[in-house]
Amino acid sequence: MNDIQNRVSRCFANVFPDLPDSELPKVSMASLARWDSIAQVTLLAAVAEEFSIDFTAEDFEELTSFALITDYVTAKVSRG
Amino acid sequence: MRLNEALQIVNATNKASGPFSIIFLACGFQPLHLATFIQAHSIRRLGGQIVRIETGLFGNILSNINRAAESKATSSAVALEWEDLDARLGLRASGGWTSASQRDIERLSIRRLEELESAITKLSASIPVAVSPPSLPLPPLGHTVQLQATTLSLQLEQQLAAFLQRLAYTGSARILDPFWLACNSPPSSRLDPKMSLLTGFPYSIKHADAVASALVDLLFATPAKKGLILDLDETLWSGIVGEVGVDRVSWCMEDGSQVHAWLQQMLAQLAENGVLIAIASKNQSELVEQALSRKDLLVPRGALFPIIATWGAKSVAVQEIVRRWNIAADSVVFLDDTAMELSEVQSAVPGITCLQFTPKDPGAVWNVLQQLRNLFGKPAIFAEDLLRSNSIRSAEALEELALGTVSSKFLHTLGGRVILDYQRDSADTRPLDLINKTNQFNLNGIRLIEGDWRERMKSPTGVAIKVSYEDKFGPLGNIAALLGQVQGHRVHVTSWVMSCRAFSRRIEYHILESLFRVTGASELRFEFRPTERNWPLQNFFAEIEIDYVLSGQASLLRETFEKNMPELPHQVSEMTK
Repeated sequence: MNDIQNRVSRCFANVFPDLPDSELPKVSMASLARWDSIAQVTLLAAVAEEFSIDFTAEDFEELTSFALITDYVTAKVSRG
Repeated sequence: MRLNEALQIVNATNKASGPFSIIFLACGFQPLHLATFIQAHSIRRLGGQIVRIETGLFGNILSNINRAAESKATSSAVALEWEDLDARLGLRASGGWTSASQRDIERLSIRRLEELESAITKLSASIPVAVSPPSLPLPPLGHTVQLQATTLSLQLEQQLAAFLQRLAYTGSARILDPFWLACNSPPSSRLDPKMSLLTGFPYSIKHADAVASALVDLLFATPAKKGLILDLDETLWSGIVGEVGVDRVSWCMEDGSQVHAWLQQMLAQLAENGVLIAIASKNQSELVEQALSRKDLLVPRGALFPIIATWGAKSVAVQEIVRRWNIAADSVVFLDDTAMELSEVQSAVPGITCLQFTPKDPGAVWNVLQQLRNLFGKPAIFAEDLLRSNSIRSAEALEELALGTVSSKFLHTLGGRVILDYQRDSADTRPLDLINKTNQFNLNGIRLIEGDWRERMKSPTGVAIKVSYEDKFGPLGNIAALLGQVQGHRVHVTSWVMSCRAFSRRIEYHILESLFRVTGASELRFEFRPTERNWPLQNFFAEIEIDYVLSGQASLLRETFEKNMPELPHQVSEMTK
């Protein structure tokens, strides 16, 4: 994992403390029952805080997996 | 606190098992991060204790407050917002902002505040309640520019202030000061409109943290310091009395020494609230006495006790004062204008809080006064607080009269009366206050939160004694408290404390004698734990032959107690149901 993935995974661990690291790359809202709308808001707030970025209302609908979130953050951070 | 940090704190205790406290968060919005922050701050405040948060239904704060009253929560945080008075004042309603709507909002909010007052008053009768008033901006209502207040906003603020004042005045709830919140969470960055629309949670993360931190601090107040020791020259007054003379030291506007008047007014207020105030000064004692006798002093001369004026080290004087007060150094604040003196005292008296008084910098003095308020502030003042200073003088007088030997004959001359109140009143938190601030005669050092205390007051097998005392030197007020559970022929004592003001009077014997007699118990089992400071209780246990080291438990049979009980010198009154 690169630095961004590591930091995103720490946010995941804060919101889903029982989720094993090995499942992280494939995890999504569809595969994880505990990942409901409240968890989504908490998760993206934790990620936003970690990277000092902001998410739009659409992001909350679209960023529904670990991969999508790390790709989004990577793009956003690289754009500055 | 950051959200990620809060989540980590919460996760760490979510995995733990054991006893836990429940805080009910009553709000009309989606509690989301506010609940997380309240949980994290309270876990931290309670030293890692497990805390659970319960919340109610979205959109109806009134029913949530009522729900809190019926829950098993041991304390409650109520976060009010304008939309709780009328949904049209929130972001998610579309009921209209016309002038007709505004008149309607004004009218309905009065009724709503009455309902909220009734619900919060009822809730606070059973558990402690902290209230944060509306902290978000009102919608853009009115014909004025934002700079100019509208009659509606002023009217709502007035109604709200009256409602909060009534709650604070009756002691029903602890109200978060809006000015404090403004200093710690800028009003312009509190609202998160996007999250409000998306999730129903209207606070920015930082605002949620600030509100949560404040509510937790209100619910679980830090124990207040008990005594303040201060210097004289350039602290209590401007000038060096030994050089300029008694009449030339000053504390007034005319002489440019008003900051000392601020301090003296603060001291008078602290003394009025039961804080012990003493003087440690490098000075000639006769001169000090003359200066302190000046009629224009703003702090009553009688509030200063003891006064130690010598040329020795400040730390020696400070230690002597702490000894005469018979309180722990970590309950004491030392105030002086000289950095060297502060440093000397700090190194010689571990635990003491040292503050510098800098009369040349009024801004720094103002901040020191605010610090003093925070160090000595407490949610409520009890009668015992007001008696503390007098009772310490009485203890000294008693010590002098007895000349170190407290005989039965001497104790009889005191004309003492011990009142043991067995009536359990969950609203009376004075015994809880005593349990949480007493260190020396303390069974185990275990602190209780207010909610737990109230639960224990309701337990059908519980026993609680609130002990007060008076003698010819005057009343000492409530000086001891005992909590326990009756288990057949045995009483299991879980908390027992006695103020150091009441030592050497055999009141502890009176308490146990009464407990055996009133409950009919043949054995007392004490939930005892030795601490660094509870040696007076350990000595007492040795006197009555409780050998907790050998036996592993602190148990006292009635016959053992009666064998070791000295003559009891005081008149006893017991109040039972």
